[in-house]
Parts: sequence; C-alpha cells; structure tokens
Amino acid sequence: MWRFLGGRIAMGALTIFVTTIAVTLLIHLVPGDPVQIMYAQSQGTTPEQLEEIRHNLGLDQPIYIQYVRFVGRLFQGDLGYTIRGHQPVLDVILQRLPNTIALAVAAMAVAILIGLPIGFFAAYKRGTMVDTGLMVVAIAGVSVPHFWLGLVLLLFFAVELGWLPVSGTGPLNLVLPAVTLGLSNAAIVARMTRSSMMDIMRQDFVRTAEAKGLPKSVILSRHVLRAGLIPVITMMGLQFAFMMGGAIVVENIFAWNGVGRMAVEAIFQRDYPVIQGFILTFAVVVVFVSILLDGVYALVDPRIRRS
Amino acid sequence: MAELSGAVPDYDHEIVPPGRRAHFWRRVAFTPNGAFGLAVVIVLIASAGLADLITPYSPIKMGVGPRFLPPNGAYLLGTDEFGRDLFTRIVYGSRLTLMIGAIAVGISLTVGILVGLIAAYRGGWTETILMRGTDVLFSFTETLIALACVAVLGPSLKNAMIAVGIAGIPFYARTCYSAALVERSKPYFEATIAAGAGPLRLLFLHLLPNVLPTMIVVATLGLSAAILAAAGLSFLGLGAQPPDPEWGAMLSGARDYFNRAPYLMVIPGLAIAVTVLGFNLLGDAIRTALDPREGSE
Amino acid sequence: MTIRTGRLTRTLAAVAAIGLCSAAAEARDIVWARYGDIDTLDPHKATSTLSLQTWSLIFDTLLATDKDGNPVPNMAESWTVNDAGTEYTFKLHDGITCHDGSPLDATDVKYTVDRAFDDADPSVTKASWGPITSAEVVDPLTVKLTLETPFVALVPFLADSFSSILCDSNEGAEGFGTTTAIGSGPWKLVSWTKGDKITLARNDDYTNFGKLAENKGAPYMDGLVITVVPEPQTRLAALKTGEVDIAEPPFDDVAMLKDSGELDIVVAENTGQNVFWEFAVHRPPFNDKRARQAVGHATDAAAAINLIYGDLSLPEACPVSRGVFGNDQDVCLEYRTNYDPEKARALLAELGYGPDKPLETAMLVWTGGNRQKLAEVFQAQLAEVGIKADIEMMDIGTMNARVRQENETAEGKGSMDMMTWSWYDPDILYALWHSPGAYRGYTTPELDAMLEKTRVLTDPDERKAAVQAVFKVLLEDGIHIPLYTPGWEWVFAVRPEVEGFHVAPFVYPVFNDVKIAED
Repeated sequence: MWRFLGGRIAMGALTIFVTTIAVTLLIHLVPGDPVQIMYAQSQGTTPEQLEEIRHNLGLDQPIYIQYVRFVGRLFQGDLGYTIRGHQPVLDVILQRLPNTIALAVAAMAVAILIGLPIGFFAAYKRGTMVDTGLMVVAIAGVSVPHFWLGLVLLLFFAVELGWLPVSGTGPLNLVLPAVTLGLSNAAIVARMTRSSMMDIMRQDFVRTAEAKGLPKSVILSRHVLRAGLIPVITMMGLQFAFMMGGAIVVENIFAWNGVGRMAVEAIFQRDYPVIQGFILTFAVVVVFVSILLDGVYALVDPRIRRS
Repeated sequence: MAELSGAVPDYDHEIVPPGRRAHFWRRVAFTPNGAFGLAVVIVLIASAGLADLITPYSPIKMGVGPRFLPPNGAYLLGTDEFGRDLFTRIVYGSRLTLMIGAIAVGISLTVGILVGLIAAYRGGWTETILMRGTDVLFSFTETLIALACVAVLGPSLKNAMIAVGIAGIPFYARTCYSAALVERSKPYFEATIAAGAGPLRLLFLHLLPNVLPTMIVVATLGLSAAILAAAGLSFLGLGAQPPDPEWGAMLSGARDYFNRAPYLMVIPGLAIAVTVLGFNLLGDAIRTALDPREGSE
Repeated sequence: MTIRTGRLTRTLAAVAAIGLCSAAAEARDIVWARYGDIDTLDPHKATSTLSLQTWSLIFDTLLATDKDGNPVPNMAESWTVNDAGTEYTFKLHDGITCHDGSPLDATDVKYTVDRAFDDADPSVTKASWGPITSAEVVDPLTVKLTLETPFVALVPFLADSFSSILCDSNEGAEGFGTTTAIGSGPWKLVSWTKGDKITLARNDDYTNFGKLAENKGAPYMDGLVITVVPEPQTRLAALKTGEVDIAEPPFDDVAMLKDSGELDIVVAENTGQNVFWEFAVHRPPFNDKRARQAVGHATDAAAAINLIYGDLSLPEACPVSRGVFGNDQDVCLEYRTNYDPEKARALLAELGYGPDKPLETAMLVWTGGNRQKLAEVFQAQLAEVGIKADIEMMDIGTMNARVRQENETAEGKGSMDMMTWSWYDPDILYALWHSPGAYRGYTTPELDAMLEKTRVLTDPDERKAAVQAVFKVLLEDGIHIPLYTPGWEWVFAVRPEVEGFHVAPFVYPVFNDVKIAED
C-alpha cells in the first residue's frame, strides 16, 4: 500500500514540477513584449524604466536562471504581483480558492447523489427498457451545455420565481451553480457506475453467488455494490479535476467569486502573473485531491491494502 | 474537453475496430440511438453544405428584418438585436460547428496518434517521458489546457480550435498508445522486425493502419466533446468573434436581451444540445455495435 | 455641547433601532452593484473608472468640480498662483481629520505628492501631475507646489480623484491599498473582499467643503456596500428583488423601466468621456490619411448609438467632449469627417481598394457596456463601403498596450481601435498626441508646437482658439475621429425608495445625500 501511495505522490510531484516549467515558459510564449503589455497603463514609462522593470523581474536573464528564481520565490510563497493593482498574487488567489473548492465539492455531491443511484439502478435493470431509457437520459445530460443549463436555471429559479438570490457569494448562492455543474456530471457518474457494476456482475464470484441461488438484491447490495464502487472511487479524482475545470465556466455565469472567474478576467486583462498563479494552484489542488482519493482507494481495495 | 462540456468519451469500454465487419453501419443505423444520431449528423452536414440554398438571407448583414421579431412565417426563428434572421445564422453556424469539430479533433488525433505510436514503438525512456507527460497533461483536465492556450494565443476562433485540439491530445495519445501496445505484442510484428523493416516503415505501414480504425471510432466520440468545448470558449468570449454566427457566441450575446427576446437565448442553446446529443448517440451506437460485451447479455 | 448631545441622541436612537429591529438597521446600508471590481485602493496604482469612483468615496481632494465641471475650492479653501505660473500655494481648511483621527494638513498633501513622484515606485499617472519639482509645507495649513514650467491643467487635475490626498499615517502601513486605506472622504473602508464587495461605513467627522452634495456633513446612511455583479440581467434582477439599490441596468431594458416607473433612471452628465477612432499610423493602410478619412466617412455614429444606447448617449464631434474646455459641436462638425459612404468609397477607390479587394483591418474594442454590440454595428457599416474589420475584444488596459504595440509594428494588417479617454481638460490631447505620444502614434513637430501652446496660455479666449486649432488638425486628418459621449458606466437604475442619489461630473456618483425610505 505504501509503495502504491509513494508512486502516486511521486507522480503528483512530477505533475507540479512540469507545471512550474510550463508557467515559466508561458510568459515567453506570449506574442509581443510581456513587460510592455504589463506596464502599458502606467503613464510615461520610458524605455529605460521598462528595461529596469525587465531587469527587476529577471526577464533579461537566461531562462533557466529565471526558472530557478521563480521556484525559489515559490518556496517562499511568493507568486509575484498582479499587473492590475499591484497586489500579491497569492493573496488574490487564496481569497477566492475556498469558494471554488466549495463549489467543486458541492457539485460533486450533487453528481454522486444523483448519478450513483441511477447508474446502480440501470445496472440492476440491465438490458431492459428502463436501462436503455436511463442511459439515453444520461447521454442527453452530458449533451446539454452547462453554460446554457446554468442560464436557464438562473433565469427560472432566481429571476422568475425569486426563490434563490441572483448574485453574490454565500451559502444560498451556492445552490444553483452546484446543481448546474453537478447535473451534467451526474450523467457521467451514472454511466461509470453502471459499467463498473456490470463488469463486477460478470465476475466469477457473482456468478457463483447466483448459482448458489442467493436473491438478486442480496447479491447486488452485498457483493456487487462494494466491489463495483472501488473503480468509481478511482474515477473520483479525475471527476474532481473536471469539476474544478467546469467551475471556470459556471463561476462566470453565476458571478461566483472563485478562481475560475478570476482566471477568465485575467485573460482579458493579460494579467500573466495571475494566470500563472491560477494554473499552479489548479495543479496543486488537483494533485492533492487525487492523492487523497488514492489513499481512500488504497484503504478500501483489499488487494492494495494487503500488498 | 469534458469539463467545459460535461461530456466525456468513455474510456472504460473496450473498443474493437470495425475492420471489415459486414453490415456494421446497418447495425448502427437500426438502433434508435444510432438512427437519431445519424439523422442529426446528416441534417447538420446538409445544412452546412447547402446553407446558401436553404436560406435567402445573409447571416451577417444587419437589418434584413426588423429587430427582435419573435419566430414567425417570414423569419422562422425570429430576428436578433440587429435585425438578422436567426434561422439563417443557425444554419450558417452549423458550418462553423462542423469545421471547429473537425479541425480540433484533427489536431488532437494527429498529434495523439504520433505520440502514442512513437511511445509504443520506441519503448524505454521515450515511452516513459511521453506517457508520463501525457498523464500529467491529462490530470490538468482539458479545460485548463484550453484556457492556458487561449491565454497565450489570445481570443479568436482559430485559436480556440487550436486550444481545444491541443487539450484533446492526451486522451487520443493514451488511447492510441494502448491500441499500439496490443499490436506490438502480436507475433507478426516481431516477424516484421526480424525481416529488417526500418522504423518509419514499421510505424507508418504496420502499426498505423492497425490502430487507425480504433482511432477513427474514438474520434467520432470525441467530436461532440470538442464542439461543446469550443462553444464554451466562445461563450466566455475567448473563441469566435463577431459577426461569426457561432452558436456559443450567439447564446452569450443573447444574455443581454433575455427579458425582451428569450428565444434568442433558447434557440442557439438547443442547437448546441441537439448537435452534441446527435454525435453522442451516434458514437454510443457505434461503440455498442463494436463492444463484444454489449448485447450478449 | 449641542453637537455632543446631538451625537449622543443619534447613537441612542441607533442602538434602540438595532435593538428593536435588526433587519431595519441592516437595510440602512446602500447597496451599489457594478460590473467589475476595483484594481486597488491605492490611487497611485491604477486608472480604471471603477477604482476612481471608489477612491472618490474614501479620499478627498484639494479641489472639487461644480456641476459644469469647473474646479472649485474643497479641502483647500483658496489658492494662488505666481505670475510665472510655476508656483501654486494652497490654503487648507482647519479641522479636517483623517479616518484614523489624525489631522489632515499640509504634511499629508506633501506626503501624497512626494509619493506620486517617488523615483522607485511612482504613480501610474505621474505625468498628469505635471512638471512638479517640489511640495513644500509653508505652515500646517499652507502647502506650496513648485513647477518647472507652467502647467494650467494642474488645477483641474487636483479636483479629480487621481489626486486623492492620502493621509500620511498610511506611510509604511502594511496592506495599504488592499486591507487599509486611510483618507478623509465621506466613507471609511471597512473591508474589501476581492472580486466580491467593498464595505464602507459613514465617516461621522466628514465635512463637505466643496463636493457636489447638498448635505454639508456626514452622509445620512450608515454604510455603503459596493458589490460586483458582472451580468446586466442579473443586476436588473437584483434591483427588482431589492438585493441591490443602485446599479447599471441592461441598456435594452431602460425604456421599459422608465415607462413602468419600476426603477428610476439616472444618467450622468458632463462625463468628459470621449470615444473615438484612432489608427496605427506608421504602416499601411492607415499611414495614408485618405484611409483614415474613409473610415470616418463610413461611420454613422448617430445611427449606431441610437441602435445600441437609444437616447442614453450622444454623438460627439469634438476630440474632447461636452463639458470640457474648448468643446464646440458646430466648430468640430465643420472639420470632422462626417458620415458620407459615397465619399468613403471614392477615397478607397483612390487608394486602389474595391469590391474585390477590401481594406482589411483589425478593430480593437474594450469589453463591457454593450460595446461589443456597438462594434458589430460599426463593423457592418464599414463592410458596406468595403472595409473588412475584425473585431478583437479586450480589457482596456490590454488595449492600451496593444495600441502602442501596433504603432511600433512596421508591418502587417492595418489596425484601428475604439479608444477612449475621460479627462476634465483638453490637456488630454497633449498626453495623446504630443510626441512621443501616449501610444507612439501620430505626431508632428507642428502639432507639438500647437499643443505646447495650449498648456501655457492663461487667457481663456486665447487658449480656446489654440485648443480648437488642435481640433482642426486632429479632425481633418482623421487622427482622432470622435464618435460619442458618454460611453461607460454612466447609466444608473435606482430603486424608487432611494432618494438623493446623483452623479457629479466625470462620473463620480455621490451618496452623501442618499436617504432610503423605510418600507
């Protein structure tokens, strides 16, 4: 089990390492002069001052030196300063990150609460019209763009009915974005659950149980559900990453004050330090959550626990 | 592109290439899902190809009709805030949608196949670096990669297609890699090496033709995700720019007129949903027809 | 003594009110929703209107503007200028206090000016302060600014929130601009949650010396919350449900709101905002003035504005807008390249463009305020005469950078942009078009000389003539083609129970007079 987890942690470290390289390169891939883009708002910056800024940012150094300096500052929790307003990037991100994580977790809860029972039920009724019907609904669910679903929900529940607040960042405001993001992912969870359950149902121990004449419901709840959930857990890490990604769009619809909305604004503002910080934060959160879930997986799956 | 869209191609299904299996398409077309999917795709291709014949109006010329006219006889789906015919814009939009899907998937597919093949063929360090790299990218999720690409390239339809294409690479590389590994382990492959075939010959004359059918099936499934993702970028203003009649951008622009003309928002959303549903159902039908496990229950 | 009793009574009343009905006490905050957030609370580190409006609430300025946009005394009760126009002496009111209780005096003014000119980290708007060489504390209530050369635009600048006076207690304060900002304005900073909201509380010690508000004391309401709601339709919904008291409505719903009387509409006047075409002039096609003039003649600004903004905005003929010194529609219309598509086609034909060979250009436009829609209309108008413009939407800060970059690029597709400036004085034209030029665009020695003249002429009539001579060059050669005014964040929808809300010139909303009727 420790070997398994060690491997996962090493993989996570590699991911973050690659990310740090990618974000250092990012600023060099931008067409045009990043320093000029950054400081264009300042009146009367002379070419000499721009050179000075370039020097202070270390952008006149060879790229590997820049990288080492970047990582060095990273270890001190220094992600640089935003271009708009000269604020520490880390502060700007940390103020919003909890909101994004809350949204992703809530959406995941919605996805699981809806998707898991449907997937399980479809597997139980496999091959019947119910199964086919549920799976068509699931496909329809993944086909609806969530930027559209979100708008429709917003206009109906908040604007027309007035049941929920239309704007801002608070507990009640979380409902609509979480449902929007959760619903489309519920369809994916349902399909994953169904196919995982069906795989288990084909395995020998289930066949044996069937042959012994155990009732179908007992077999399902006692054997299939437990075994079938394990692969579903492993998929949750990826699902969480999807939720974080989906949050980028959903936050923009609902004005949810998370890092996704911040990132899109930063793109329009060419605020590269913020974009760099966002990508890094995203990687760290996703890696952390997937290692956490791998830990859970290791505890649940007897084959890994024993090894 | 799963996260922008919510759609994700299943990677938990085993896919057997259609090969020369007889009546394959008949099997697809005779399921309700497949039939619906095929119908949507055919309508989409027809409207893209015949747009000039289907509608007399221009998709971008303003003032062909009054502004904000609800759906009626002369303007089937009504007119938008500039007095353009919405039906015409939706029809021309299908062209963009197909082009976006094809180009984005084309990029993902080409690069993905190259990475997968080379990793599987070379093995060793090349394999480790390429496939670990793919894993890293995969864990970023496609939305983030697309967003980072747009951040570097700047918002435009062309850049959105490139971004979605790049974001899809890890998925196709993984799939191709697994398929190529299967081929590599087959006896004929060893024999070809023993016969002294060069690496290029091995890669492109032996491995490629054998993984290609699988990859084409996977690409059909990936089209819907790519379309959704690009529409999502356009919705955020990071993709198509005016006056392009791109559905995601149209939907985004209609938000300001919700009170006055809700149909402007509903219709492009439906167009995206139906198109993506069509591709998804078609892909699902194809996969079911190919999956040895399905239908045997 | 009477004052004290008054305050005590008020406090008691407030306590009682809170005790009796906490909901009513809560409702005493004014909630103002805007589409975006501020960049910083530090007036030396940003230029956005959203930031400026917020600074004007927290900080006060030496001078203020009257309703026509002219500078009047504020914290400075009077000022004198020496004959050479190089020394300005300001006399401050006695008894002004900062939010932390310290007195606001000449040392705070000196601190602010020195900070703006700090070599290591100057203000981003340093150039607008003019050629100041020193700020000197003559006595606690007198401060003298010395200039290298005369600079007539200093006075209007000191009425604008770019020149907000910072209390010297901010010096070295950790988190200045983020978590703290000590000024002497009508509202004190309570907190700023980035991307979400800014919470302000009434400054009970505030005295209004010159700002445009009837209320000469502290604001009536307890607090002011400025929230971020990006979507226009969402803002409208929040206004209707009462979550928000004041916000910019979706433009297309304004007529309906006016008719139904559901919400009041307040439109800012004398905003000084000027939206105009300008071009990358150092490469084809726009290095030829005929190409620029063709764009001018192809643009029907009046029709486009009417379509998108109805009667909320006006076409503008001058390079500085109504309410700014020198503006005269009749004079400008004579020089401007007005709508005439035939003329545009003829000019394009002269240049070798035609139906088969359209003139291709990028059209840079900044995001927000329905400008994307407006740009689409302009795009269609240009297409009519054979100009193919590709719209690129971007943040205003990014656009500033891009425009300069386009001017410094010698090759490639043409580039034009819908640029904008809001300024209280024609001196903005010096910043834009005097070499090297804000964006490294069009400059000539002749124009430089004309612009220099506008800076030093103290006689208003002479200066006006000089300013209008500059207009002529800019308009005739299609360098600065004005389109409309006002252009951004100038329309406010207000809930009916909110009384006393108004907007001062240059789009500074004033909340000092606001009272919200209890339901």
